[in-house]
Amino acid sequence: MDAVSEPAATITPLGSGRFLVSGDSRQRLAYATQVAGVTWVFLDGEVTVIGRTPSSHARATAADELASLAAPMPATVIAIAVQPGQKVAAGDVLIRLEAMKMELPVRSPRDATVVAVKCREGQLVQPGVPLLELDEA
Amino acid sequence: MFTRILVANRGEIAVRILRTCRVMGIETVAVYSDADAGALHVTLADQAVRIGGAAPAESYLSQKAILDAARATGAQAIHPGYGFLSENDAFAAACAKAGLTFIGPSPDAMAKLGSKTAARRIAEAAGVPVVPGAVPADQSDAALIAAATKVGFPVLLKPSEGGGGIGMKEVHAAADLPGAIAQARREAEAAFGDGTLYVERLVTKPRHVEFQILGDSHGTVVHLFERECSIQRRHQKVLEETPSTAVTPALRARMGAAAVALARAAGYANAGTVEFLVEGRGDSASFYFLEMNARLQVEHPITEVVTGVDLVRAQIEVAAGGPVPWTQEQLTQRGHAIEVRVCAEDPRQGFLPQAGVLALYREPAMPGVRVDAGVTEGSEVSVHYDSLLAKLVAWGETREAARLRAHEALAHYPILGIRTNVPLLMRLLTHDRFVAGDLDTHFLDAEAASLVPPDSPPTADARAVAALVRRGGSGIAAPAAETSWDPWTSLGGRRV
Repeated sequence: MDAVSEPAATITPLGSGRFLVSGDSRQRLAYATQVAGVTWVFLDGEVTVIGRTPSSHARATAADELASLAAPMPATVIAIAVQPGQKVAAGDVLIRLEAMKMELPVRSPRDATVVAVKCREGQLVQPGVPLLELDEA
Repeated sequence: MFTRILVANRGEIAVRILRTCRVMGIETVAVYSDADAGALHVTLADQAVRIGGAAPAESYLSQKAILDAARATGAQAIHPGYGFLSENDAFAAACAKAGLTFIGPSPDAMAKLGSKTAARRIAEAAGVPVVPGAVPADQSDAALIAAATKVGFPVLLKPSEGGGGIGMKEVHAAADLPGAIAQARREAEAAFGDGTLYVERLVTKPRHVEFQILGDSHGTVVHLFERECSIQRRHQKVLEETPSTAVTPALRARMGAAAVALARAAGYANAGTVEFLVEGRGDSASFYFLEMNARLQVEHPITEVVTGVDLVRAQIEVAAGGPVPWTQEQLTQRGHAIEVRVCAEDPRQGFLPQAGVLALYREPAMPGVRVDAGVTEGSEVSVHYDSLLAKLVAWGETREAARLRAHEALAHYPILGIRTNVPLLMRLLTHDRFVAGDLDTHFLDAEAASLVPPDSPPTADARAVAALVRRGGSGIAAPAAETSWDPWTSLGGRRV
């Protein structure tokens, strides 16, 4: 059996994604797996994700205060509140998305003018793709 | 009794209903959308019928597709689960017209209770307390002040046409009323074009306590005690328990009698839930009718584990014309049960829902723990449906025993590949106020700061496990190439 010595503990793979984490005084069971280059570890009820996750660019952004002009996850466009040429203020709702029964408003990050709308109502949009274009700040 | 039932739902509730049907020797028909072709519920039924596209409107909400599937498979009854078509009285009527039994209340009872104002009238007529309130016909300041004084302070001023909290004003003393009335009227006119105000008693520190009832077509109605559901976020329940720490035997008897009276007054058959707001705790607490849910609830398992009954079996029996299988006296509460809802959402990103594949998913198995899940390892959580993955229910002889079991079970419930709320649920179960049973519907918002897991760096142990996985020491996934942007590849250098 493979084992690796760590300053904190010895890790012994048990198969099927299970690992025994043995320290000086106690041992614990951990679970881990790797998905698309990202490593996920479950230990004592806490999840550690090492490597980039698809939504990590949206971190620390509340679901109802998306500053980005892209969907944070695959979502359906339920309403487009603006038209090209329209002036918008920081915080205005530009587009309403819905995913998993939750409404996710996309708000303007700043005062700006809408240059182009790049989605349509009812469309399933992917994360990271801008839904509209604002003029330069 | 039916020989074949179609389950018009998906996810954990479809799985839960299918399991009871199988135990009863009833053949089962599952339905699925394109997004659910390989879903757990599809694999557990005797037959499965594709009913349309991934969008709910094209499949699980399509009455025609579901009725066609029932006809094509020769099902005699449809169990709607919760959500989707479960509280749609037109669908219940369409089932009857098609010669199918809808496992739920009659379309008439459903329609009556579906309207909040009609349900409030039924409650008042049945002598069930409602939150005191009035829309004075005379909307002068003097009349509104008189109405508020009659209702009793503190009061809530609400636009009678409104919703969403707009224009609502809390008023704690008569002296503050004139100013608040003027402001609420202005806001109501601006938002809804109608300044008519509704005066309602403000319930402070409210608890959400609901009663499970079951009725049959012969006029018998029993209740199966309460469920405390005060731990909510945006009206979505997160944790439920029974018994409630606020409810004493005397209060339980009063509330149970009110729930039964309301169901009788509405001519209600099958399973339903009567929701109340509770103010205070103990024998002297006040309770007010909120609404009735004409369906099986998500949180029904906690009632099942403390009473020892199978509510879905009872639903099927009474739908087939049978009597309520127990007398009120036979029903007792034994011990305590806590349910936590395991959801694909990231509390650290404002509870943003998460979609993806459950690369590793292992349910805990231990004494006193039941997991109702709609997923299994390898399942794909799609963006089309809600984020509930599973419900973990812990039973114990005492509340403390149930709480500790729930916490221990979550600590052995690894779900990897997408973020879930498990870390938040574990913090909730150990929160001082939760441990003390000091709950109200504002709990989750008030305590969010201490419940949302901090964005702390990985522990040395977690890093060590990750490092081993990354060099191929795992027994589960094929090792992926190391990538340059991974901050932890620099931790390499240890021998495997």
